[in-house]
Amino acid sequence: MARGPQPAPKPMAATPSTPAPLLSLRGVAKSFGGVRALRGVDFDLQAGEVHALLGENGAGKSTLIKVITGAHQPDAGEITLAGRMLGGLTPALAQQLGIACIYQQPALFPDLTVAENIGLRLEPAAAIRRIGWQRRRALAAELLARIGAHISPEAEVRALSMPEQQLVEIAGAVGAGARVVVMDEPTASLTNREQERLFTIVRELRAAGVGVIYISHRLEEIFALADRVTVLRDGASVGTHGVSDMTEAGLIKLMVGREVAQLYPPAESTPGEIVLKLAGVGCADSGVHGVNLEVRAGEIFGLAGLVGAGRTELARVLFGITPVTAGVITLGGKTIAPRSPQEAVSHGIAYVPEDRRRHGVVLEMPISENMTMAIHPRLFPGAWLRFGAERSLALDFIRDLAVKCSGCDAPGGSLSGGNQQKVSLARWLATKPRLLILDEPTQGVDVGAKSEIHRIIRRLAKDGLAVLMISSDLPEVLGMGDRIGVMRGGTLTTVLPGGAPASTVMAAALGQDENKGAA
Amino acid sequence: MNRYFRELSVTAALGLVLLGLAVFAPAFYQPQPLLSLATREAPTLVVMCGMALVIICRQIDISVGSQFSVCSVCAGLLAARGWPLFLVVPASAAIGAVLGSLNGLLIAGLRLPSIVVTLATMVTLRQGLNLVRQGEFVNLPDGVQWFGLSQATGQWVLVAAALLLLVTMGLALRHLAAGRWIYAVGSDTEAARLAGIRPQFVTFLVFVIMGALTGLAATMNLVQSPQIQPLTGAGLELKVIAAVVVGGVAISGGRGNLWGAFAGLLLLACISPALTHLHIEAYWEKAIQGAIILLAVVADGLRQRTGGQR
Amino acid sequence: MSAPTNVEGSAPAEPRPSWSWALQFLLRYETLLLAVLVAEWLLFYHYGTSTNRRGVVVGFGTIDRQFDILRHSCEIGLLALALTPVILTAGIDLSVGSLLGLCAVIFGKLWHDGGLSIPLAAALTLGLGALGGGLNATLITALRLPPLIVTLGTYSLFRGLAEAITHGAVTYTDFPASFLFLGQERWLGLPTQAWLFLLVAVVVWLLVHRTTFGRSFRAIGFSPEGARYAGLPVERRVAFAYVLAGLIAALAALIYTSRLGQAKADAGTGYELFAITAVVLGGTSIFGGRGSVTGTLLGVAAIAVLKNGLACLPVVIRMNAAEEMSGLLTGALLLLALTGSILPKILSTFRGRRQAG
Repeated sequence: MARGPQPAPKPMAATPSTPAPLLSLRGVAKSFGGVRALRGVDFDLQAGEVHALLGENGAGKSTLIKVITGAHQPDAGEITLAGRMLGGLTPALAQQLGIACIYQQPALFPDLTVAENIGLRLEPAAAIRRIGWQRRRALAAELLARIGAHISPEAEVRALSMPEQQLVEIAGAVGAGARVVVMDEPTASLTNREQERLFTIVRELRAAGVGVIYISHRLEEIFALADRVTVLRDGASVGTHGVSDMTEAGLIKLMVGREVAQLYPPAESTPGEIVLKLAGVGCADSGVHGVNLEVRAGEIFGLAGLVGAGRTELARVLFGITPVTAGVITLGGKTIAPRSPQEAVSHGIAYVPEDRRRHGVVLEMPISENMTMAIHPRLFPGAWLRFGAERSLALDFIRDLAVKCSGCDAPGGSLSGGNQQKVSLARWLATKPRLLILDEPTQGVDVGAKSEIHRIIRRLAKDGLAVLMISSDLPEVLGMGDRIGVMRGGTLTTVLPGGAPASTVMAAALGQDENKGAA
Repeated sequence: MNRYFRELSVTAALGLVLLGLAVFAPAFYQPQPLLSLATREAPTLVVMCGMALVIICRQIDISVGSQFSVCSVCAGLLAARGWPLFLVVPASAAIGAVLGSLNGLLIAGLRLPSIVVTLATMVTLRQGLNLVRQGEFVNLPDGVQWFGLSQATGQWVLVAAALLLLVTMGLALRHLAAGRWIYAVGSDTEAARLAGIRPQFVTFLVFVIMGALTGLAATMNLVQSPQIQPLTGAGLELKVIAAVVVGGVAISGGRGNLWGAFAGLLLLACISPALTHLHIEAYWEKAIQGAIILLAVVADGLRQRTGGQR
Repeated sequence: MSAPTNVEGSAPAEPRPSWSWALQFLLRYETLLLAVLVAEWLLFYHYGTSTNRRGVVVGFGTIDRQFDILRHSCEIGLLALALTPVILTAGIDLSVGSLLGLCAVIFGKLWHDGGLSIPLAAALTLGLGALGGGLNATLITALRLPPLIVTLGTYSLFRGLAEAITHGAVTYTDFPASFLFLGQERWLGLPTQAWLFLLVAVVVWLLVHRTTFGRSFRAIGFSPEGARYAGLPVERRVAFAYVLAGLIAALAALIYTSRLGQAKADAGTGYELFAITAVVLGGTSIFGGRGSVTGTLLGVAAIAVLKNGLACLPVVIRMNAAEEMSGLLTGALLLLALTGSILPKILSTFRGRRQAG
C-alpha cells in the first residue's frame, strides 16, 4: 500500500540544469502473489522530455506503466506529479490529472464515431447537457489535423485499423491536455510513413512541455527520439542514462547482463528424426510470413523474441486456430494444413496455450475432466464416458506431474498457477502428441513449480517428443533450448545453438547486430 | 459502407412497399382508414421508443406487453373513479416507471440476464393482473374517450403526440449527453466505466424510462375505446422488438437510432393492411414478421463479418 | 508482457471427512429442490384432498389427479428436457413452444389433408421438428448470430406458419383411437405418454451426464474459447443441441395432439416460459455450464404439482383463479431461482479473484 500523506516531499536535487521533475517515482514496488514484478524502482520524467523505457519481456515495464496510470496500486513507494504526492490513484483520477496512456489495444467504443469517442473523453460528466455535434466534429477534426492523422471524424471506430485507432487515442490525449503521455510500443504496427508522422507528433508534444514515456524495443527509435533511457531488468531499474551517452551494445548489455541464477536440467538425449518442418510458412491475417524451421524428436527448440514478434501467432497457425495461407507444414514427413484444433490434434500436434485461465484450463470443471478434454474420441469411444478410465488417467498424471490438489474432482480454479499449468500440460500429454508446443509454460508460476515443469519438459524430450517452447524468459530459453530460434516482425530471423550468449539472443530479438556501435 | 446503411435500406424497403401498395392496392391510401391505423399504432410507437433505448443499451425487455396491460387497467380504474385525464396520464406513467424499476433493479443491480428476468416479470404481471381482475373489463366514463373531443380531433391529437414524443426522444438521444451514454454502455460497458460513466445506473434508468413510456402508451390506448379489456398488450413486445431490430438497432447494442426504428415500425405496420388489400390472408402476418426479423438479423450478422473487422 | 497473474499458494492435500461429504450432498441444490417438492406435494395433499358427500376421496390425493398431473407435465417436461442442453451451452431457445404448434398443425394436415398414415405423418413431423431446430442451429452456429434474437424470430415465424397453414381457424380432429391411446389412455398402469417421457428423460440424462456430448455442452457453456482450444467441435455440438431441441418439440407436439384429440395453431402457446422456468428452477445456470437433467425433472415436477395442486385448493376453487395463481407463482419462483442462481457465479468470481491476488 502506498504510504499515507507525508510532509512536503523533498524535490529532487534541483541544480540549475535539472529542474524538478514532472513525474517522479521513488522506491515503487509491486508484487502479485509470490511474484515480485517491481522492486523499489526509481524513475523520473521531466516536462518536455521523451524518456524511453527499455527492458525485456517480464522486466516490469507494463507493471510500471500500470502503476503510473493508476490501474495498479503499488505495494510500496511514492509517486509525485508536479510536486504533489499521489495516493490512491485510479485510472479515472489519473486521466483527470493529465496522465494519458496509449496502449497497444486502444480502449475506444467500437460502435461510435471518432468524434464521439474523442468527445466522450473530453467533455464534462453532466448528464443533461446538450451535445454540440458541430463543435464535436470540429474539435475532433482539429485535433486529428494537429497530429496529422487523415481520419474522418465521422468514421466508425470499428472500421479503423489499429494504427488509426491509436492516432484517435493520441488525439484524445492531446485534446485532454495531458501532461504525461505514455506510449506503449506505438510503432508496432505502423508503416514507415506513419512512424514518421508519429515521431513528429512526439516531438511536438515534447516541444509543448509534455513528458512522454516511450516504450519500445526498436533501439533505432530510441536513439532517434528519446532524450533519456531507463533500462528495467527483473523488476528493478539498472540505470538511467542520457541517450547520447549510450550505444546499442551498451543498452543490450544492460538489458540482459545478470547472474545465471538457475540451473536447468541438461539435455540427455540426441535429437532424432525431423518431426516438424516449416518451409516458408505464413498466415496473411496474423502477419506471420516466411518461417523456416525444423524441430527434431527429442529436441527442445526454444522460440525467443519480443512480444508481437509473432511467436504465438505461429503456434496458432500450427494448431489450426488460424489457417496457413502460405508455405508448407510437414509433420513426420506428411504435409498438413490444419483448419481446426481438432484436426491438429488428430495429426499429433498439441498446444499448451499462453492464456492459462481462458484457454488452458476450464476453471469451473474438475481436474480430471480438464485432463481428458482433448482425448474424448480415444478415451471415450462411442461418446460414452468411462469414469474409471478417466479417474485412473487423472491420478496417474497427478502423480507423474506432482500436481498439488485436494483430489482429482477439485475444480481447476482451486489450483495455484503452477498446478493449473501442470493440468493444462497433462491434458495435452494425454493426446500422446508427436509435437508439443508450449507457450510461456512457466509464466506466473513460482520458482518451485517452475523447476518441476522444466524437469518434466526435459523428461518428455528424452522420451522422444519434439518440443517447441515459446518463452519470453530469456534464461529459460537459453537454459532449456537445445537450439534457439529468434522471431522478429513475424518471421524467424536467426537460429542459434543452445548455450548462445544472452546478448546475442536479445540483439537478434531487437534486430540489432550486437557488434554494431561498439564504442 | 455508409454508416447509416441499415436505416436507409429500411426506409427504401418501406418506400417500395408503399409504392407497391399505391400501384396494386390504391384503396390503401384513404385518409380515414390511414388515420385510424396511425391512431391504433400510436401507443406502439411510444413503446417502441423505449424499446429502442433498451436494445441500444444491449438489453431486452419482453415484459412490456404485461406492463402495458397493468397500466391500462390501472389507468382505466382511475378514470372510472373520476380522475381527470391530466392526472391519469402521469399516474399511469408513474406506475409504468415503478414496474420498469423492478426490472431495472434485478438486471442492473443483480446483473441478471434481461431476457429471463423480463420473461419472469412478464408472466408474474400478467397472471397477477388476471388474478385481480378475473378477466373483467373496465368500463370507462363518457368523457374519457378521445379526451372528450370528437373522434377525428382525438385521433389527430394522439398521432401528433406520438410523433412529438418520437422527435423529442430522437433528438435527446442524439444531442443529450445522457443519450450518448446509453450508446457507450451498450457498445462497451468496461470502456464506459473507465470513461467515468456509470453503466449500472444508466441501465437501471433505461428500464425505468421504458416502463414510464409504456404507462404513457397505455393512456393513449385508453382514450381510444370505451372499455379496457385485460388482454390488451398481448404480443406488443414482439411487435416492438421486431420494429426496432428491423430498423437497424443492433441486438448487440451501441448502434441504431429512432429514425430507423420508426421506419421499421411503419414497414411492419403496413404488412397487415397490405395483406388485406392484396387479398392475402391476414394469418400470414406473424410468419412474415418472424421472417423479417430473421432477415434483419442475418443482414446485421453478415455486415459485421464482411464490413467492419476489429 | 503483462505482469504474472497467478498467486502461489498450496491447496490442502488431506482428504475431507465423510460427514463433510454428506453435508455437501444434503446442501446440494437438487436435494433442496426435492425437499421443496415433497413439502409442496404434502401441502396440497393435506389441503386439497377431501371426501365428498358420497364418501369418495376427491381432489389432489386421487390417482386420477396424480395421473392428470403426469399427463399435463409431459409436454412441458419434454420441452424442458429439450432446453437443458441448449441452456447448458449458455444459449437459449424461445421457439420451442411455437415449433410445437407448427408440428402439431403439420401433423394434422399430413394426416387429414394428405391422407398419410399416422406413423408416416408422425415420422415426417419429427423430421420437421429437427429441421426447425436446424434452422436455429444454422443461424446460430454458421452465422454466429445471438441465440436470443434468432429464436425470437423463429418464435414468431413458426407460430406464424402454423397460423397461416390453418388459416387461423382450422382444427384437425377425429384422430383414430389408436393414436389417441398415446395421450389419453394408460399403458401398464401409467398414462401412455408418461412412458415416452420417461424414455426421453433417460436418453437426455444419459446424453448430458454420461456422454462426451454433455461434457462438451458444459465446457462450451463455461468457456467457449477454452472448449475450442481443447479441440472440442464447438459448432457441431451447439448445432446438435438446437436440432435435438427441435426434434423433442415435435415429439411433444404429437403427444399434445393426442392428449387433446385435436391439432390447432395455438398449441404450445406459452409453453416455452414454463419450460425455461423448470430448467432454471432445476438449478441449471442461465449463464451456462452448470446444471443437471435431474434438476430439470425436479423443476418440472415442482411446477406441475404447483399448477395442479393449486387447482385443488378450496380457496382457489372458490376464487376460480387456478391458472392465474399458478402463473403468478411460477413467475415469482423463476425470479427467486434466478436470484439464487447467481450465487455460484458471485462465489466463483470471488474465489477467482482471490487466486489472482
